[in-house]
Amino acid sequence: MGNLISAANFAKVAQYADLFKQGMAVTIMLSLLTVLFGFFLALLLAVMRLSHLCPFGFLGLTKDGHLREQGFLFHLSRFNPVSFIATVYVEVFRATPMLVQLWLVYFLLFDKSVIDLPKVTILGFIRLERFIPGVVALALNSGAYLSEIIRAGIQSIDGGQTEAARSLGLTQGQNMRYVVLPQAIKNTLPAIANEFVTIIKESAITYTIGVQDIMSAVNATKGALYIIIEPLLVATLMYFCLTFPTSKIIAYFERRMSRGDKR
Amino acid sequence: MATRDSLIQVTDLKKYYNRGAIKALDGITADINRGDVMVVIGPSGSGKSTFLRSLNLLEKPTGGSIVFDGVDITKPKAKNAEGKVVRVNVDEHRQKMGMVFQHFNLFPHMTILDNMTLAPIKVRHMPKAQAEEKAMVLLDRVGLKDRAGAYPIQLSGGQKQRVAIVRALEMEPEVMLFDEPTSALDPEMVGEVLDVMKELAHEGMTMVVVTHEMGFAREVGNRVLFMADGRLLEQGTPDEIFNHPQNERLQDFLSKVLV
Repeated sequence: MGNLISAANFAKVAQYADLFKQGMAVTIMLSLLTVLFGFFLALLLAVMRLSHLCPFGFLGLTKDGHLREQGFLFHLSRFNPVSFIATVYVEVFRATPMLVQLWLVYFLLFDKSVIDLPKVTILGFIRLERFIPGVVALALNSGAYLSEIIRAGIQSIDGGQTEAARSLGLTQGQNMRYVVLPQAIKNTLPAIANEFVTIIKESAITYTIGVQDIMSAVNATKGALYIIIEPLLVATLMYFCLTFPTSKIIAYFERRMSRGDKR
Repeated sequence: MATRDSLIQVTDLKKYYNRGAIKALDGITADINRGDVMVVIGPSGSGKSTFLRSLNLLEKPTGGSIVFDGVDITKPKAKNAEGKVVRVNVDEHRQKMGMVFQHFNLFPHMTILDNMTLAPIKVRHMPKAQAEEKAMVLLDRVGLKDRAGAYPIQLSGGQKQRVAIVRALEMEPEVMLFDEPTSALDPEMVGEVLDVMKELAHEGMTMVVVTHEMGFAREVGNRVLFMADGRLLEQGTPDEIFNHPQNERLQDFLSKVLV
């Protein structure tokens, strides 16, 4: 048995440098797109969970127009299907493994026909028919997590803000858009950015459906050279170079924002 | 001076919590006329704030009715002037009722000017320049014109509350509701807020004020309501309430607050 880690092996891996560079680009794009779509999904889910849509609300009124306070009709009048759907979504996605979700999305939706993606390769190395399912699965997953962060952010805003906005005649939607969400998102920006770091790391599993990210470069090198430790170390370094500066930048903005609050 | 022109009629207003175990409002009936300065006093937990907040439906009443400008705003549908059944748009009615809160509730992420112009621009679709011009006139009136670009956190409590008042005024409400506007202020700042409110009253603004400032109630109010345990126990002119109280609870209350 030779050396566990050898310089010669690293030199061999260096032949595949382009593969790793491309993998890095794919990982970055995958993460950015996931955060973008995941964020909007999360906003939607958070607002859905906190909505007050009660389609059976009229059942909560007695004949003389007073509010019921108990009984089956009272509970039915409080039932909010929109919030219910969002809650089920979030709980299911948080309670099942990311790998299972990824494979389900890929094999159920994209592999066999439900959604037919063109077999297009952009920039010479991004195969859309693998890349898009990867983004979709990651975004669906991180949307569930982010929505909980945003929901907590919304709930942390003092109820007086909403009261003031509504008393000025703003609708619930306007109140959300102009008063509550700007404050909620500002407060939760560090947590949102943290989720971004998590996505960069989680995106590694998309190589299992053939997305050519950093891990896929490791896999290819392993297959060609029959070595595993050295490519893995290269990948480790690359992921670290992506996530460490990101979290440092986040910490910097976090400090700057809290300084603005104390003024 | 006050006319006899009725603006809001509250009839048998009820607000129950926990299936009626707690009766925050237990059948309040009161008429608010245009030009009234109605001051609501009473011990804490008596339902004063709940009453005020019910007027613009920040609290949904359990029962009773609130007729504002001829429309019962507690019902989802009402008859309009021609007798047609229309949906009651609560947002529309809230625009006509300015509200000032104990804790100011300015929007901390906006400048004072943006705080003031948000509702006129988004709700009334007023051009930005016009809304800002109007806001500056109002800010000037309360001596805060030079703070237009500041953020709420940079203002003192008294300044914040003055901004909150003119923010509500910018929507040109028909009635102003004050929910303990001076209770969260340092003592030396109470005067500056009360002065603004006095000026408003003298201009003929209809006001409903929940307060512990008995001096204000006596001097500025034209009607005083005394509430305890969710019930309206006595109402009358300041002279009747403060100098000739009839109800035992009121006499007891006054003996504690007028030292």
